[in-house]
Amino acid sequence: MSKHDSTRRSFLKRAAVGAGAVAGSGLVPDVYAQALDQHKDDAAAGASRPTSIQHGAFFNYEQAATIAAFSERLMPGAPGKAGARDTGVLNYIDLALAGAYADLQDFYRRGLAQLDAYCRATYKQPFVQLEPARQDEVITALEQGKAAGFSWPTAPEFFNVVRTHTMEGMFADPIYGGNRDFAGWRLVGFPGAQGNFTATDLQNKQTFTRAPITGLQAQAGLQAQAKVSGRTE
Amino acid sequence: MAIEKTDVVIVGVGAVGGILAAELGKAGMKVIGLERGPRLTTQDFSALDELRYFQRQELRPNAKRQPVTWRPNAKSNAKPLPILNYGNQAGGGTVHYGALSWRFHEDDFRARSHTIERYGASAIPADSSLTDWPLTYADLEPFYDRAEYELGVSGKAGNLQGRKTDAGNPFEAPRRREYPLPALLPDQSGVIFTAAAQKLGYHPFSSPRAILSQPYNGRAGCTYCGFCQSFGCHMAAKSSILVTKLPEADATGNFKLLTGTMAYRVNSDNSGRVTGVSYYGADGSDNTIEADLVILATFIYDNTRLLLLSKTAKFPNGLANSSGQLGEHLMAHIGARVFVAFDDRYVNIYMGPSAQKHSLDDFNADNFDHAGMTFIRGAQLSVTPADLEAGPIGASINMNPPPGIPRWGAAYRDFLAKYFARYAAFIAQTENLPYADQTIDLDPHVRDQYGMPAPRLTYDWRRPNEVARIEFLLNKLEELGRASGAQHVWRSPTGSGAPGAHHEGGTRMGTDPKLSVVNRYGQSWDIPNLFIIGSSTFPTMSGFNPTLTIQALAYWSADAIVNRYKKNPGALV
Repeated sequence: MSKHDSTRRSFLKRAAVGAGAVAGSGLVPDVYAQALDQHKDDAAAGASRPTSIQHGAFFNYEQAATIAAFSERLMPGAPGKAGARDTGVLNYIDLALAGAYADLQDFYRRGLAQLDAYCRATYKQPFVQLEPARQDEVITALEQGKAAGFSWPTAPEFFNVVRTHTMEGMFADPIYGGNRDFAGWRLVGFPGAQGNFTATDLQNKQTFTRAPITGLQAQAGLQAQAKVSGRTE
Repeated sequence: MAIEKTDVVIVGVGAVGGILAAELGKAGMKVIGLERGPRLTTQDFSALDELRYFQRQELRPNAKRQPVTWRPNAKSNAKPLPILNYGNQAGGGTVHYGALSWRFHEDDFRARSHTIERYGASAIPADSSLTDWPLTYADLEPFYDRAEYELGVSGKAGNLQGRKTDAGNPFEAPRRREYPLPALLPDQSGVIFTAAAQKLGYHPFSSPRAILSQPYNGRAGCTYCGFCQSFGCHMAAKSSILVTKLPEADATGNFKLLTGTMAYRVNSDNSGRVTGVSYYGADGSDNTIEADLVILATFIYDNTRLLLLSKTAKFPNGLANSSGQLGEHLMAHIGARVFVAFDDRYVNIYMGPSAQKHSLDDFNADNFDHAGMTFIRGAQLSVTPADLEAGPIGASINMNPPPGIPRWGAAYRDFLAKYFARYAAFIAQTENLPYADQTIDLDPHVRDQYGMPAPRLTYDWRRPNEVARIEFLLNKLEELGRASGAQHVWRSPTGSGAPGAHHEGGTRMGTDPKLSVVNRYGQSWDIPNLFIIGSSTFPTMSGFNPTLTIQALAYWSADAIVNRYKKNPGALV
């Protein structure tokens, strides 16, 4: 296996972790990545994917891998610094497109198809197979409206929506499928859904550490507990 | 078609409609309120969820189902605005607002006369329709007082009956007594803003807000959670109409609220009076309410749209529009913004009520000398998070990084990771002048979910007076930023010409029936049993947030209806 292939394989594995969390059961990331590797020649030719592998709520395999790679370049992970992959941005976007953002399904389909066509025309390879520096070139071209061949969505429109949704996946409450283990909030030092700050907290010039990071599920649990104990008293 | 009879029908049960419903109900009038959205409860707001309420705008109208279009001028095509910045439920915008509660200055009510007296008529741009209000600050003061005490506003007086205090806003108009509640506590951004402003000789203070700093009228005090602007308050500490006037209206026994309803026409007869309102029910049914008195109290778009849709042979250009002024003089606040960020300390701006936390009024209205300047009027300056809301989604989308740092990639990630809890935004909220060619009308191409033409805005704030003022204010904000000791100070781009927050105009009030749609009480000049109340009647806008003035006008109109109109229905002036 060439260095390029191994990079790609590990990348697809990471993409699959996100997609696996969508499926909720049965997905073994290694199996997924191996299957994709077996079919890599087909993939390059744009052939259909194996049907025996579960995937997420909306994206197909190629779309999932592309969004995972794209969002990871927007918010790259590094040791001690969670990125899009670590926080589950792909899972967030996939779930959102199957639900709250269902009206953007065609926006993503067409945006991804145009991205694919642009990368193949310019670099003779799909986006996911490009080296990170090349991927950054592509994203810059989209952001600046210099990528040819986009009609709807335009390249900047597609860039902006993926950027916005990447940030949502990094920083929305984990209940929506991203921000895994509050990794996005930890990255920036946001304590989450705190119901109150004290006068002492308001005077603090240091980072806030009085209470643990809280999300909606913990909050809902506390409220349900309070209700139950209220009834029994 | 169901037909129902009542004394009063109110269209829109928000900042205005809730007050009218309670006050008219107390006077024994039978009131039906039509509200497009739902009636939520405090329990509905227990989710402190930035995605749902800030980013996905759950408490605001859906921009796809209820589109509003905008074009910069009459020669260009209008496109739907991506975000609609007003309320869509019982309580209206007061459910999600930042609760800034200002009294306008005395000269805000007479901006034209004041400008001419101090600088001469040539200081006013020739194409501006700047004018005086048909009422004065003194007329409205008792009703400002009532709104502050009945709703619950926290602040510190700066001018008690003409005597300047040591705290509060020294530029405020004289008030009869202190605020009902002490000022809200500052967070670190307020402390930083205060120090910077004082260093430069300005007069900072904790912004007056309809948020309880202590328990009041059976409601709990604020817990400084920070999920404030864009959110409903999980403590009911925000004095929204939902938790203040709607319970009062319920208690009268004379108020019926119909949620999920869309008024589509104000009905009128040949005698020159309105007879009621037709609306679509939540089930799609077509219904009519017959009423002696009709009050329009929606956000400004629909006040104008409903009148345009209700045209008759007698009023071919829109109901109550013999003046031809309907839909004109649209105004909106525009924000100038500078970010500051610190390497040597945290700010933690996500703590405390989030919008326009601390303010200074030195550059608002005509509080500073404009001699030699190329613009008139000013702006309220304050400290706030990136988009008046302080979560990381808001910061990542609405805080442009400083020059040299891209919007994505490792450098951006590191910027956000380092400065999310170490930044503040200094902003100016500008008083833009009225211009007759800034308008609301019916979009000929775009329709809403009910099949009604969308409101279309024709507006571009980038006029010479406004552009010169923005540049002046950006320089002032940068000066404040440097005085704050921040290691990093940078500007935010001022963006397109689209209208910003707090829209005003469309059904202008005035003293001359030929030059205005309503009189000083919001009563139609053409149709005495039709009232239009809210910021759509503002002749000018002030640099202050409009809500407390909207509420004071609602009390003022309610007083005129209950004590004068009810006994003798007819023209009030």
